[in-house]
Amino acid sequence: MTLFHFFNCAILTFGPHAVYYSATPLSEYDTLGTSVKAAVVYLATALVKLVCLATFLQVSETEVFDPYQEALKAMIGFIDVAGLYFALAQLTHRNISQNHKFQAVGLGWAFADSVLHRLAPLWVGARGLEFTWDYVLQGLEANANLVFTISLAALGSLMWLRKNKPKTLIPIIYTCAVIIATMPSITSYLRRVMGWHFPKVVGFELMTSLVMAFISCQLFILCQRPSL
Amino acid sequence: MGDEKKSKQRDGSMVFESMYPLLALMLILVACVDLCDAATVVDVYRLVQYDISGVPFGSRFSSLNHHAASLSFQRGADLSRSVLILPLRELDLGFLQDYISQKQSLGGLLILLPQTLRPGNNIVLSETQGFRKLLAQLENLLVHANIPFPVYFAFENEETDAMLVDVKKNDALGQQATATTGGYKLVISVSEPRKIASPTITNIQGWLPGSRAEGDSNQLPTIAIVASYDTFGAAPALSVGSDSNGSGVVALLEVARLFSTLYSNPKTRGRYNLLFALTSGGPYNYEGTQKWLKSLDQRMRESIDYAICLNSVGSWDNELLVHVSKPPDNAYIKQIFEGFSNVAEDLGFQVALKHKKINISNSRVAWEHEQFSRLRVTAATLSELSTPPELLESAGSLSDTRQLVHEDAIIKGVKLVAESLARHIYGHQKKDIKIFADDSSLAVNPFNVRSWLDLLSQTPRVAPFLSKSEPLITALKKELEDYTAEVSVQHESLDGIFTFYDSTKASLNIYQVASVTFDLLLLLVLGSYLIVLFSFLVITTRGVDDLISLFRRPPSRKVKMV
Repeated sequence: MTLFHFFNCAILTFGPHAVYYSATPLSEYDTLGTSVKAAVVYLATALVKLVCLATFLQVSETEVFDPYQEALKAMIGFIDVAGLYFALAQLTHRNISQNHKFQAVGLGWAFADSVLHRLAPLWVGARGLEFTWDYVLQGLEANANLVFTISLAALGSLMWLRKNKPKTLIPIIYTCAVIIATMPSITSYLRRVMGWHFPKVVGFELMTSLVMAFISCQLFILCQRPSL
Repeated sequence: MGDEKKSKQRDGSMVFESMYPLLALMLILVACVDLCDAATVVDVYRLVQYDISGVPFGSRFSSLNHHAASLSFQRGADLSRSVLILPLRELDLGFLQDYISQKQSLGGLLILLPQTLRPGNNIVLSETQGFRKLLAQLENLLVHANIPFPVYFAFENEETDAMLVDVKKNDALGQQATATTGGYKLVISVSEPRKIASPTITNIQGWLPGSRAEGDSNQLPTIAIVASYDTFGAAPALSVGSDSNGSGVVALLEVARLFSTLYSNPKTRGRYNLLFALTSGGPYNYEGTQKWLKSLDQRMRESIDYAICLNSVGSWDNELLVHVSKPPDNAYIKQIFEGFSNVAEDLGFQVALKHKKINISNSRVAWEHEQFSRLRVTAATLSELSTPPELLESAGSLSDTRQLVHEDAIIKGVKLVAESLARHIYGHQKKDIKIFADDSSLAVNPFNVRSWLDLLSQTPRVAPFLSKSEPLITALKKELEDYTAEVSVQHESLDGIFTFYDSTKASLNIYQVASVTFDLLLLLVLGSYLIVLFSFLVITTRGVDDLISLFRRPPSRKVKMV
């Protein structure tokens, strides 16, 4: 019975990635290689981030929100963005349209993130007798993360791969990208300072992810018009 | 073409075969559903399990893995796969008695005791008085019945209270907690209880020699002071026996200290030897005392003038009782009793004499002095109990905690024993002298009394579960070594009619489980979510036509083939 719960949470956490791959034209153009490369880049980025965190951050015993520490964490979070840039711009992909490139990269990135952060707790925790809502909420968080990553990849591709953009839209693109990139800091601020519980934080993440996805979708469409 | 197919098949099977070890590993990993940390872990103490001449008593099982149920269950519900949780406040003794006597099956019983009865908790609350009587009756019922399911005692805390409220709510709604309706699952995973092979009882004796007069080569007479230090109760891991017989042990140690001070100076050393003995095996017809006496040298035993046994001297007010087995008009008994009553008068309380004949055909030894009397040694027991305790009764029950004992009672008892002994030893029987006066250097030390009493009230002392090198035994031995000249420790095995089983303490894991229906519902929701997501993505990226074409592909292929 508890294995059942593990299975449920696993399909909630990793199902959407598979569904996204098979539902969109990504599967038709066989962009699996791109996704795998993006996942590898994510692994390398995570390693670099860990080393930086270990070197520069002080471990505090209490859950006190220290602005300097959080600012440092946010800066290290930008290593993520750098990694995404590398995956999008520097790696040579097969001849795929830009449209599909950012989706594949975002998908691979989000999948690697989910596996790294959520598979181990799920395996250890969800199989026990004790029932908690934690793993279901974690799965929902993984879904929100997927949307965030794809939006960030879209904005990233707009920023670095598209040369001619309408001037007015550039600041909006950059602000949205910054907001998405600093989401981890925002959630930790909510959890520690405002004292929000996990369900509330996950709800907030889901809402924001949908809003961000909508905005980045609109931006992408707007930017596509001049090239037509 | 055929060869190609065959080679392909062979390749495929080879790949599959090489996957076997990987599959096996996966299956093993999947199969070990380790019970991870539960949200709540509670210390629980098992009901004693023992046999008397092969007849089983107590709880015969120890491991537990069932759903929780409370007293609010619907009448006629099947509780054979549930653990009944009974707080002491709501105990219905009649119901439990019926359940046990009718041999109805129950998955397990968990009795919740108030925190005030926890050893080490010294808060005195008036409400615990009512509990003590109920607890005594409950213990009596459980200890003398043969119970075919595990019975555990635990102390109430916030988590158990919260769980009980939840369970009661569910039971009131008629939802029996089973695998399909969720609820709480109580798991105690211990191995089945085993017989304790040869339990040892340890007697500790301390010898304080007197001083011989010049030119006197006769053996000096001896006075023995004895107390049994082990206990027996419904929950052996909680059986601290503060009054029975922690108070006796503390009194003995204090008397030993006073006399060691007196005897340390050769000028004040009396013409009597003193023999202090801490015996074990008290609840089991004082088997330890009998073995200790038999192991004594014959001459030593014959030199014992008389012996004073101390049993439960911690919670009396005005009257202490002297129990004897020789008739009261015996000269020695008269002498002893007069000594006691003179001192008692000076100290402001009374002593009374109680005579109980020994019935040789009855193997029951109710008082410790009876073991002495059976070997022709004059002895008496000093106790606050007026009636002789039954077998395995008044030997350290669950309600016998530190709060039951008053230090003043023990101090008065110590003064009584010490003064009457001193007056006998130094020949001041009729005189009005206070040797151990309160402000002198020989005063009774209340701090010593209190610290030993506190220690004993936190140490469960059921003899079969005490090893030979138990820290308590070492501590008692060291204490006697400080006060007496020669200490010897005697290990005997507790043979006879009693057999004990181990496993007295365990950890209870309380899991909050979800039902199978919940999991199925969640699966349904997730499945529909994924399907909706899939359709949404197909529609937005490829168009509605593609979605419809997904379902139309098989027929169109057939059309193409034709």
